Amino acid sequence: MGTLDYIWLGILAVFQGPEFVSLAGISISVTLAMIFFGFLLGVAVGATPGLAGPIAMAISLPILISIFGFTPDALLPVLGFLIGIMKGATIGGAVPAILFNTPGTPDAFMTTLDGHPMARRGLGGKALRVAHFSSVTGDTFSDIVLIICAPFLALLVEGYLDLPEKAALLILSMSFIAAAVGGSLAKGLISTGLGLLAAYVGTGQDFYPRLSIGNEALSEGFPLASTVLGVLIVGAVLHELALYWRRRDDGTAGTVMETEANQRLSLREIGRLMPYIGRSAVVGTMIGALPGIGSTLAATIGYTVGKRRYQKVRKDDALDFGEGVPEGVAATEAANSSVSGANLIPVLSLGIPGNAAAVFLILAAESIGGFTPGPSVFKFTTDQVNPELVIAFGLFTCMFLANLMNWTIGGVFMRAMAVMTRIPKQVLLPVVLLLTLTAIYVQETAMAAVWFTLGFGVLGYLMRVLAISPLPFVIAFILGGRLEDTSRQAFAATGGDPWFLVSSPVSIAFMALTAIVVVAAIRRGRTD
Amino acid sequence: MAMTQNRWIGLVVCVLALVLLFVWIPLDVETGIVEKIRRQVEIGDALGPTVAGVFLLFGGVILAFVERPPSEPKPVDGQAIRFALLIVVYLGVCFLVMLVTGPAAVWVASQATGSDLEYRLLRDTVPWKYLGFLTGGTLAILGVISLAERRVSLKALIVAVAAVIAMIAIYDLPFDDLLLPPNGDF
Repeated sequence: MGTLDYIWLGILAVFQGPEFVSLAGISISVTLAMIFFGFLLGVAVGATPGLAGPIAMAISLPILISIFGFTPDALLPVLGFLIGIMKGATIGGAVPAILFNTPGTPDAFMTTLDGHPMARRGLGGKALRVAHFSSVTGDTFSDIVLIICAPFLALLVEGYLDLPEKAALLILSMSFIAAAVGGSLAKGLISTGLGLLAAYVGTGQDFYPRLSIGNEALSEGFPLASTVLGVLIVGAVLHELALYWRRRDDGTAGTVMETEANQRLSLREIGRLMPYIGRSAVVGTMIGALPGIGSTLAATIGYTVGKRRYQKVRKDDALDFGEGVPEGVAATEAANSSVSGANLIPVLSLGIPGNAAAVFLILAAESIGGFTPGPSVFKFTTDQVNPELVIAFGLFTCMFLANLMNWTIGGVFMRAMAVMTRIPKQVLLPVVLLLTLTAIYVQETAMAAVWFTLGFGVLGYLMRVLAISPLPFVIAFILGGRLEDTSRQAFAATGGDPWFLVSSPVSIAFMALTAIVVVAAIRRGRTD
Repeated sequence: MAMTQNRWIGLVVCVLALVLLFVWIPLDVETGIVEKIRRQVEIGDALGPTVAGVFLLFGGVILAFVERPPSEPKPVDGQAIRFALLIVVYLGVCFLVMLVTGPAAVWVASQATGSDLEYRLLRDTVPWKYLGFLTGGTLAILGVISLAERRVSLKALIVAVAAVIAMIAIYDLPFDDLLLPPNGDF
């Protein structure tokens, strides 16, 4: 089995799975159909203010698992659907940002700066086309980088990192995420500490489940779905509802979208936009490859870089950035969309989720079993087939198919989704809330899971109110068990050496980097 | 030293971290940071929570005494927090209603017919399996919409009933192995 054989098997696994339907004699596999349905759902939720890709992923997961079961055959259809949502939501977020000055997703805020003024000038259709083209170009570039980098990085990790180095790398990743997310190291550390604490309740090696205060419900630990969905989804919905309740008199006026005749994007215009798209795609991919740094920062930096270039080439009488220029929309959308593919580099190469969408991909893989994202996936065994590697190449195929859908039908579907922006938030969010709680109950079949979810929802809400990002919490909760297991094994492997974290040059380098990241963040916090 | 919001949060987290490190972990974890088992030294169950406590303490100290953010976060809106907590309490009550509606209906039916019905045996049969979810779910959506809009409307009721029926159609009708809330608890 060579590398090309694995790639070919991955492609075949997507196209030759169980048949969903036969169209004119051509068999459409279930995985292909699931990518398509996920993609349509993703565009719809991305275009709906108050919803986002992770919410749709959370609600879909128990349904998908019920349909496909817990067998390895379920992995590609389920993950394909989730990847479809992720890709669709990336382009959908620009729709309300441009047409109604309401970003569908937080990273689409910068899109409002030029997209909405364009729509007010009667160029809403053109702005949507610019957003679509830039978004899909950035996303495709990012996926190519992912597919090239992730296997190499994974091989490096497996080849050079032993248990102490892996433990040190996990500590470095968590510290980096704490320092990078939300702009405050202190709040990032608090969020990480709370996540680790939640991960360690009711677990451990002793007969007595630690930190369970003798409570039977706590003695089994917090369910993964209740904790993650409670903090990420229920917390976000409560926050949105409370904001609506406080500002319910604020209205967002609709916009006349298409009064100018020519809304199409010419080849000449595309050529003019390409330098902005190219720069932003590189910026977004580099930022996306670092775990924990969101697409909002990528959009901000992409916009700033684009603006700097625009100032140099702008004619005196031309509009500026912020006044409704297509270059502004292109710079933002290419940057925030190119984060999504690159965000999977740490997931597939290190097993470390970098954003909320990656968290749900890991959650799906863990629920179904048979595929553990991380460096062990990329073992190119020659004597026998490594099924995890086939799934990994199947996932890459799913991503390219979702991109193909984005290029071909994404634009039309995105523009048709303008209608979603008219669904009132105060009606949609309560339905999402019950849907999330029902999804968790269906998965856990115990009311205790609902109580835990509501409790973590309150925690997620309070974290948002106090400007503490919930993402480090979720990532620490997911990685907490692995950090402890790796440390136990490393401690045992080094013969009980208490200095195992600094026992080799590589682990010393990781711990030194951790110290540098923390000190730099403290200095930044003092001088800002 | 002015007591800003961030400083308060930092101090509260410091106190929580100290309680975790010096009270909760010693009292509620059976093994220490390292343990000697069969002449081998191993990491005990207390190490993980201790690392969590150190993260919290470190974060709290930096927030309270070191970091100087460019601007303080917006003041906490007490009314918004009360509103969010009210929603959570209300949802809790709705799920309790969900939990008791089915058994209560079965009890009434058994009293009326004189037969010996038991909800546990009927939890996966129509119409009993839908009673709790339909009642509690409708109340949940109707109530949260009404709280947000500060009025009860027919539109909200229609949305609530339609949404709950749609959820039944999504989660229950196509699958034999899934149980709607609260039927897994019986």
